Amino acid sequence: MIAVLALLLTASPQVSHRRVMTPDGVALAVYRYQRPGVTSAQPPVLLVPELGFSRAAWDFEGRGLARWLVERGFTVYVAELRGQGKAGPGLSLERLAGDLPIVLDALKLPLVDLVVQGWAGSVLLASNRGDARVRRVVALNTPLLAEPPSALAEAFLEDGGRFSTLASSPAGAEIFQQLFALWSLFPAGTDRAFLSTGTRDLSRPVAAQLLAWMRQGDLPLESGSVVSGLTAWSKPTLLLLGLADGFASPELCAVWRERSNGAVRLRTFSRVETKEDFSHLSMLLGTHAPAVVFPLIADFFAAEAP
Amino acid sequence: MRALWLLLICGCANLRVVPLPPEAERHRPKTADGWEISLVRYRAVGEATGRPVLLCHGISANERNMDLDEGHSMARWFAAHGREAWTMSVRGTGDSDRADPAKGRPLPIRFDQYWQHDLPTAIEHVRKISGADAIDYAGHSMGGMIVYAYLSQGGQGLHAVATLGAPTRLDWGTGLERLLKTLGPKLVSDDVVFPSQLGAAVSAPFQTFFADGLFQRFFYNPESTSPETWQRLVLYGTADTAGGTAKQLLSLVETSRFTSADGAIDFRADLARNRTPVLVVAAKLDRVAPTPAVKDGFRALGGPKQWLLITRANGTLGEYGHMDLVIGERAGAEVFHPVLDFFTLHEPPRTP
Repeated sequence: MIAVLALLLTASPQVSHRRVMTPDGVALAVYRYQRPGVTSAQPPVLLVPELGFSRAAWDFEGRGLARWLVERGFTVYVAELRGQGKAGPGLSLERLAGDLPIVLDALKLPLVDLVVQGWAGSVLLASNRGDARVRRVVALNTPLLAEPPSALAEAFLEDGGRFSTLASSPAGAEIFQQLFALWSLFPAGTDRAFLSTGTRDLSRPVAAQLLAWMRQGDLPLESGSVVSGLTAWSKPTLLLLGLADGFASPELCAVWRERSNGAVRLRTFSRVETKEDFSHLSMLLGTHAPAVVFPLIADFFAAEAP
Repeated sequence: MRALWLLLICGCANLRVVPLPPEAERHRPKTADGWEISLVRYRAVGEATGRPVLLCHGISANERNMDLDEGHSMARWFAAHGREAWTMSVRGTGDSDRADPAKGRPLPIRFDQYWQHDLPTAIEHVRKISGADAIDYAGHSMGGMIVYAYLSQGGQGLHAVATLGAPTRLDWGTGLERLLKTLGPKLVSDDVVFPSQLGAAVSAPFQTFFADGLFQRFFYNPESTSPETWQRLVLYGTADTAGGTAKQLLSLVETSRFTSADGAIDFRADLARNRTPVLVVAAKLDRVAPTPAVKDGFRALGGPKQWLLITRANGTLGEYGHMDLVIGERAGAEVFHPVLDFFTLHEPPRTP
């Protein structure tokens, strides 16, 4: 009996993949992680990557939040929405936001907990704030207010948000480091390898739309805007901030707490206490993420509803 | 043990107080409530190119933050660029009067006294000596908070202002915040003065033993400030900390409000009334005043304002922490120059 239990606990999670077609004909990629024989009383956790990132943000070379949660009994889904990873092309942020309910419909999940990051997180949450299937949310450096985080970020988007260009030269890798991996600690080579295989170029229209969003301070949506959507946000949310995030700067995100009528709790990381300030990428795949970041996420989802 | 002594002796041997330059003029105007405030004047080198600039330090610090030595001196940098510069020490710090109840200078020393008395006295003195109708001002950390409070209550005499790493709230959900909330009220009271100057001086030789120790993580980035510079700042740029001030500023953590000691004045809310141009400077890796804390003040400000984030992604050669903004090895080019540009931008055209 003990041997069987031990086997179950140490068995690798099964990862299954399926395509979900949107009504406008774009294939989305959804991955299910579950340990064989283990069922969880918790709602499944759905992980959605940042713009330009792929499933690798959550599961890279055997590490990442997806497997970490599965090892602790959660059932996990990773969704690559249009423009991300192996999904079809993404030409509009509003369309990307519309993919979330399509994924939930396809999976027939009555309730999920959601983890989002950055600018993708902002537009997904603002567009889907009324979706009753989303129970709780962890948002990683998710901006409420928009502005270009730096001249370098602006130049990257003006150039079309092409990660492939960054991956092709040491200078490009340095730009990636400043925007996504500033002052970060990774298991050897992870950040460079992620840049090469875990990212995908933004489409020209999405890069332009993101840049316009930053410059104008808000993104109009079919109903309202990102600012109005997040301001009206009411689901229990844990906002995790990495001070070293150079792509979705913490000063653009923290203000969400004040404007959310108590729905958003804030936790900020700084090297003074947590060995890392955490950047966009190190919050996902950094050396200290499993010990510092991931337990907060699991605890938040496991806690009783307030 | 012998090795420890050797390290200490070697460390101390490299440490010395660099005196003020011969051209520095000392002034001691008196506040309306009877405290002499130390000001140091650095005349503009060559023809003056603009208004005088008043420079103010942060908490547990003194005027030497703004003139540590020849290579690390905001005061001398502005003077060399044609701006008469003045450094100041708020009451109880540097060469300003200490509390002495027998001489009518009782505790507590609160943050409110800085903006109600010390800053107005310094501004009036600089205006009187220089003949300027209004002056420019740069404040680091609490020095920025002082001017926020002053401007929020309609303070006059300032033409343009820069704040460097100045927070207006400090409740960001860090573990340090929880510690401050727990221990702060137990340790801090109006009638104490923490001997932070002595503690800093004694510990100065040890503070750079570890390349990535607590001091580096909290206060400065070795990428931008050398260990020797940091040690000098610790040795003679620190000051005792008034319990009354610490207690008042603790409210930024406890209540997330930036208020007068009695809670009656909400500085953050009143900053909307400001009309003085303000440049708000933040450092990407500032762990004392993190960028959200600094941006909070920027958002609260009314009037013309500009945001400057010091980071490699905006063109600096290294990342900056809290103290690097004033003593960093490249602060002249990367911080002071944009501040001067901002002051100049808001200067009316000069008539020939």
